[in-house]
Parts: sequence; C-alpha cells; structure tokens
Amino acid sequence: MAPLSIRMNGCATNDAWPTRAVSRSSQRHALRIFFLVEAAVNDLYETLGVERSASPDDIQKAYRRLAKKLHPDLNPGNKEGEEHFKEVSAAYGLLSDADKRARYDRGEIDATGAEKPRQRFYKDFASEAGAGNPYENYSGFADFADSDDVLSELLRRSAHVRARGADVRYHLPIEFLEAVTGATKRLTLPEGGTLEVTIPAGIQNGQVLRLRGKGRPGIGEGEAGDALVEIAIKPHPFFLREGNDVYLDLPVTLSEAVLGARVTVPTPTGAVTMTVPKGSNTGTVLRLRGKGVRRRDGSHGDELVSLQVVLPEQPDPELEAFAAGWQGGKAYDPRRDMKS
Amino acid sequence: MMISKQEFLVRAQLERETLEAWIEEEWLIPGESADEVTFSDADVARVQLIRDLKNDLGINDEGVGVVLNLVDQVHGLRRVLTEVLRSVRSRA
Repeated sequence: MAPLSIRMNGCATNDAWPTRAVSRSSQRHALRIFFLVEAAVNDLYETLGVERSASPDDIQKAYRRLAKKLHPDLNPGNKEGEEHFKEVSAAYGLLSDADKRARYDRGEIDATGAEKPRQRFYKDFASEAGAGNPYENYSGFADFADSDDVLSELLRRSAHVRARGADVRYHLPIEFLEAVTGATKRLTLPEGGTLEVTIPAGIQNGQVLRLRGKGRPGIGEGEAGDALVEIAIKPHPFFLREGNDVYLDLPVTLSEAVLGARVTVPTPTGAVTMTVPKGSNTGTVLRLRGKGVRRRDGSHGDELVSLQVVLPEQPDPELEAFAAGWQGGKAYDPRRDMKS
Repeated sequence: MMISKQEFLVRAQLERETLEAWIEEEWLIPGESADEVTFSDADVARVQLIRDLKNDLGINDEGVGVVLNLVDQVHGLRRVLTEVLRSVRSRA
C-alpha cells in the first residue's frame, strides 16, 4: 500500500497539510499510521469482545468466557478454536498487564508486543503419546468393556489401561435340602466354562453369594470383578421353611392320635422317631428341637410338626359301626367358634 | 525426550515445593529411570495447562484436580475412539 493512500485514510481531513511536508519525516509518520491501521484489524479489544474502556475485571471475565470454549486442552478436537484461542490468549496476555495495556492504548506497542503465542499445548503431547500417556484415564468409560466386543478388545489390548473387571450376576436355583445342609454346585457359564459355588448350610432364599475374582477379568493390571450368585431355593414337597424353622404337616392315623404312638418323622437331616402323645388332634404342633436349619452362629432352628389326623382311604365298616354307636361323638361341636 | 528434575524446574518455571505438591496431588506423574525422576515435554505443557486453569481461568486447587481428571478421560476416549475408527475403516 502506498504511503499516499494511507495519508488519505489517516489525514485526509486535514486540509492544512503542507505540501512541503510530504517529505521523509511525513512518510515515516504515514507509515506509523499504516501500522496502527493494520493493527486495528487485529484490535485486541475486539478480539476479546470488550470496549476499550473495559475494566480489568471485564477483561478477565471476557477472557474466561472465551477460554472455556476455546482452550485447546479443554476442547482438544476444535482446530479453529485453537487458532482463535491463541489470539485471545495473546490479547489477554497484553491487556491484563496494566502497563502493557497503557502502552498499547497509547500506540507505543502493537498487538504483537504481546507474548509469543504458545505453539504447542498439552493436548498435542497427549495425543502423540498414544498408549504411553501415563495420565490417560479410562474410568469414565471402562464399563463399556463389558458390553461391547470391539471396545472391550481394544481396551484390553491397551497396556496402560487399568480397571477392575465388572461384577457378573448369576441366578442359581438349588434344592430345598441343599439349602439346609449346604452343597457344592457347579454353575455352567453362558460364555462357556463352569463356576464352582459352595452353598453354606442354612442359606436363605434370595441370598447373594459373592465369589471374589470370578467376574469379568480386569483390564490391564486391574483386578477381576466378582461373580454375584443369587440363590433361589426350590420349594419342597412337604417341608416349608420359615427363617430357620422348618414346618411339616405330619399325617397320623386316628388310632395314633387317640391312643398315642411312636412315629417316624422326616427331617431335613434324616428321619427321627417322635412320640405322638395320647389324645393328640389335627393341628397339634410338636416341636423337634434343633432339627431345623443351621443359623449363622452354628445353632439350629427347630422343626415344627403339625399333626393331621387322617381317616383310612377306604370306608371301614367297623369304624362306621363304632361311630354310629358312639355317644360322645355327638357331645362336642368343633364349629362352635364359627357361630355368630 | 526425558528431562531431569532440575531442568524441568527451569523449563517449567516451577518452584521445587510446588512441583512436589503437584506430584503429591497426582497432577503430574513423573517417570522413573535409574532411581531418579524424569519428566517429558508433555509434562512441561501440562504445567502450562495447570497454570492456565489456576491463574487465567480462576479454577481453585480442588477444581484443577477435577478438570485434569476429565481432560485425561477425554484423551483416553479420544485415543480409543481413534482406534475404533481405524479398525472400522480397515474392515470396511
């Protein structure tokens, strides 16, 4: 650009401009105006989007607002932002320094009087370092490794990733008696392989067993997750469990109930002999101490045997004859509590 | 390129105590070779980032740890995403 045109731009209104003055010194003056005009294109205040009269506080606020959106390390994928940030940061570098700002305002230094803009940011190193970046952190998404094949493989291959493997939940149905006495079960895993599960005696329905390290493998040097096995106890044909006590309805004959007897009673740990007292009835409950389920402290619950008087399956003429002649049979009312 | 601790302090314009504190906070993780700690150009740039956060962006010390953690996660994500894209492209 010719100095003349600059003079036109900068001083054209000055009619009193002496012809003689188009000399070396006025050319220098014009050049200086030229640079100021150039600098104005890159006005530092405009770069930060503040007025020339902005307070240091406003300048800081404006810078922070822009830096949040533009700082390359906080926006590592934004290439245009990076160039913009260099300008913003250079502008802030100068305008945040009261002395430099005053000199800039007086035109003593131009926009390039600011510090040399940084050439490389942390993110440049971080993305070059690849798997060797000691800071790289997977805690935000290591769980993806459990669900997706491509990702999990990639994550596993990364030597520097370290994350605990995920827990895996299983559902294991067991027999009633296995729950009472304890057992060892083999769980066949959906992805192949088996898992041995030791069922402690006395386990409750719905209880979850945690098998340390039997979940998904960890990533890198991370430890494996746990297998969480939820136990479902199948119902038993004649035992019923309530906490650590076992309930049983025990059928007895009429004679056993009336006359008393020694009968064999099943318990979860094998049959025992029990005395049915003379004159027992349906609903009479007899307690077999310690024949229930093992508690955590090693003691046992009880088995509660509820007697059910059962008549013979086939009609019995002798019994019919007896009942017909039995006066006492008409003398009591088992339904008296139901009368309103 | 590996940088000795002494040189790192000069290049990053850091006080020794500050460096120790930042290592303690795990904002910086120096490498190790022959029982002395070493640093890299990346660490120098990371110091500058920490300074930007603390001085220019007005983030307090607790916040710096949070931001660094998130930045590190972003880089982890970016690298995995790059690998995923590369493997997808090579299959296509």
